[in-house]
Amino acid sequence: MERVLRGCATILPLIAIAACSGGNKAAVVDSTSSADPQATSSAATGTALVSGARIAVAHAGPPGEWQMPAGDYASSRYSELASITPQNVANLRVSWAFSTGVLRGHEGQPLVVANTMYIVTPYPNVSYAIDLAQTGQPLKWKFRPENSQQAIGKACCDVVNRGAAYADGKIFYNLLDGHTVAVDAATGNQVWRTKMGDLSRGETITMAPIVVKGKVIVGSSGGEMGVRGWIAALDAATGKEIWRAYNIGPDKDVKVGPKFKPFYAHDRGKDLGSTSWPGDTWKTGGGAVWGWLSYDPALNLIYHGTSNPGPWNENQRTGDNKWTAAILARDADTGEMVWALQVTPHDMWDYDAVNENILVDLPIKGQTRKVLVHFDRNGFAYTIDRATGEILLAEPFVPMNWSTGIDMATGRPKVVETKKTAQDRNVKDICPSLEGGKNQQPAAFSPQTGLFYVPTNNLCMDFQARAVTYIAGTPFIGGNAPEKGGPGGYRGEFIAWDATTGKKIWGIKEPYPVWGGALATAGGVVFYGTLDGWFKAADARTGKVLWQFKVGSGVVGNPVTYTGPDGKQYVAIYAGIGGDMGLLIAGDVAANLPYDVRERGTTLPDIARWTSWGGELFVFSL
Amino acid sequence: MRHYRRRASLILSALCIAIACRNNAGANSDTSAVSASASSTSPDENTTTHLLVAGDSLRVIEHPENLPAGFPLQIKPLLISNPYEGDKRAIATGAQLFVGYNCLDCHGADGSGAMGPSFQDGRWHFGGSPGDVFESIYQGRPEGMPAWGGRISNEQIWMLTAYVRSLSSKDLSTENFTGKTVERTGH
Repeated sequence: MERVLRGCATILPLIAIAACSGGNKAAVVDSTSSADPQATSSAATGTALVSGARIAVAHAGPPGEWQMPAGDYASSRYSELASITPQNVANLRVSWAFSTGVLRGHEGQPLVVANTMYIVTPYPNVSYAIDLAQTGQPLKWKFRPENSQQAIGKACCDVVNRGAAYADGKIFYNLLDGHTVAVDAATGNQVWRTKMGDLSRGETITMAPIVVKGKVIVGSSGGEMGVRGWIAALDAATGKEIWRAYNIGPDKDVKVGPKFKPFYAHDRGKDLGSTSWPGDTWKTGGGAVWGWLSYDPALNLIYHGTSNPGPWNENQRTGDNKWTAAILARDADTGEMVWALQVTPHDMWDYDAVNENILVDLPIKGQTRKVLVHFDRNGFAYTIDRATGEILLAEPFVPMNWSTGIDMATGRPKVVETKKTAQDRNVKDICPSLEGGKNQQPAAFSPQTGLFYVPTNNLCMDFQARAVTYIAGTPFIGGNAPEKGGPGGYRGEFIAWDATTGKKIWGIKEPYPVWGGALATAGGVVFYGTLDGWFKAADARTGKVLWQFKVGSGVVGNPVTYTGPDGKQYVAIYAGIGGDMGLLIAGDVAANLPYDVRERGTTLPDIARWTSWGGELFVFSL
Repeated sequence: MRHYRRRASLILSALCIAIACRNNAGANSDTSAVSASASSTSPDENTTTHLLVAGDSLRVIEHPENLPAGFPLQIKPLLISNPYEGDKRAIATGAQLFVGYNCLDCHGADGSGAMGPSFQDGRWHFGGSPGDVFESIYQGRPEGMPAWGGRISNEQIWMLTAYVRSLSSKDLSTENFTGKTVERTGH
């Protein structure tokens, strides 16, 4: 907590924007007193705040298209489109909108390829191809996959889907019931459908795939159901499984072999994926892959995180519990593990490490380093050498009190004794909460400013762990963790982060966790949506909110930008509150189920005054 | 799906009859879950009426009011009631089972709603009578509720039924965004 208070003391309120309030609790822009005077002056002159920074992999396809979940393999969520600028963004207007026909959490983002927009809904995972070239945006096709209803009750955190990937004339995405499908982008016909997960054991799929060299890379959800997490590659042409790597278990299963060279000594050894667990507990130990994937073609490495270990009750699984709550680098051709960094060994706070890994080249101590930047649930922002897994820098990006910092010799967090959870104990006031300093909502990076734009949560929790029995197909959790707002009286903040120094440059405080992702553009404008339904544009350099629009439902999705057939720049975002925040935490935002009326949740007691469930795409242009 | 439900209902009823027969043979009457009655008393909200149709095969008709006139029946309304309804000790045991069988992490602490629906609101997707709730637990439901029949004892299912029904006390029809809040756990 001391760290929290010190951190807050350095934050000087800069501007309160009255226009942002809209009757709501005002969002407030803060600027940290930067140790680097250069940073402050460069913000004013419009040059890069971190010069010499670049995205590791080019945008996929033409700049006016959005072919991958994050726009590129680097997970940058940056677009070269520059028509919308800080000077004209105030003129942004709704151009058109589209109801997906499905309520519940609209995480993820649309794709735009050749004047066609592709959308995947939450369960039942309907996909649409929308013709952007015609007035009124008619559908080219609509695809309704076979998708077991049982999946609804096996998904831990709402029936979300984080989007599709486009390659070779096909749209690839995952179904909640554990299948991966390929759909012909021109006709909407199903090309193949492959069963990847076992629903009866609680394996669902919610993540967005990427396609690497003719292989569709997918991973499992179910870290709360006692699954044994995996990542797999399917042949994009046939749907045949090419390789599958588990994240826990013996070396053979996790694909640890001669190529495996972890940076830290304690990660070396035989069969650590099973020997760092008591007995057979690894078989139900979680380590799912429900987050975002990145790929570096030069190193031929796929980067992914792994989820929390199961159950939450740490007493049932003494040891490091490898490779849960870890960042893993795997050979894209074979799935072989090349390096591993367990960011939260023996996690006891539900700090999944599945958040996106953004691949950039950054100037660090006078040298350009090939790094991966990762904002973890555990509250640390990591700048990591993406070839070796060495931590170059790790600093808290949100208020936290469970750790005093990272031991740079071992890469392990230094854990505060009084914040360790334990069976049958109620450990109070742990920050961040199990939602993490950041959750699935992906950050963006702008090479123009050299900064990362990060949607964050500011929540704390009490943690009560209890013994739990594994019963296939039911939750394997063993804990309650009621949450509350973190220090400072706000529950979320949209921040700009310098990953070369580990410092926050500015932040826009929000009354609710910022559960939607970020988009950075070459126009110098960054976009994000809020849980209470505001879609906002901010100046990438100063964090000044320049424009906002109240969309039809809370935003948990990620903005994308594209060039329309008319040559104009468009920005698209889903409105549709849900996910963990909208289903489990809020309690009372649904209105469509007469048999399920819930009392409001303590964590977000007034969210239902501002929004209700929805499912709509909003598209904006000047 | 309709066919499936019929079959499942049939299995349930056959099972209940078995229990009833055993009871008639002198088993512990505390576990009696089913009473077959020849009278056509209208069921109260705590009972479920199923019509057993005897013929070349045993069938269950859930909505006898919809039968056409003259439908050949040798019927006895089967009133299913929970032997543990309102029984404090059984409800306490049901509360423990609710945690032990991981119901809590789906339906929320005290049934406040989480991955699965709330039990506190007095609303029921598949009916709220003891027989309906027993059926939901016994045979599962299409949106992910596992089938517990055969995995745990019927007696435990009745205790869970008594507990789950005891949670249902609130009228949440109008939400005015003030007053009490419920602590909820995200995943």
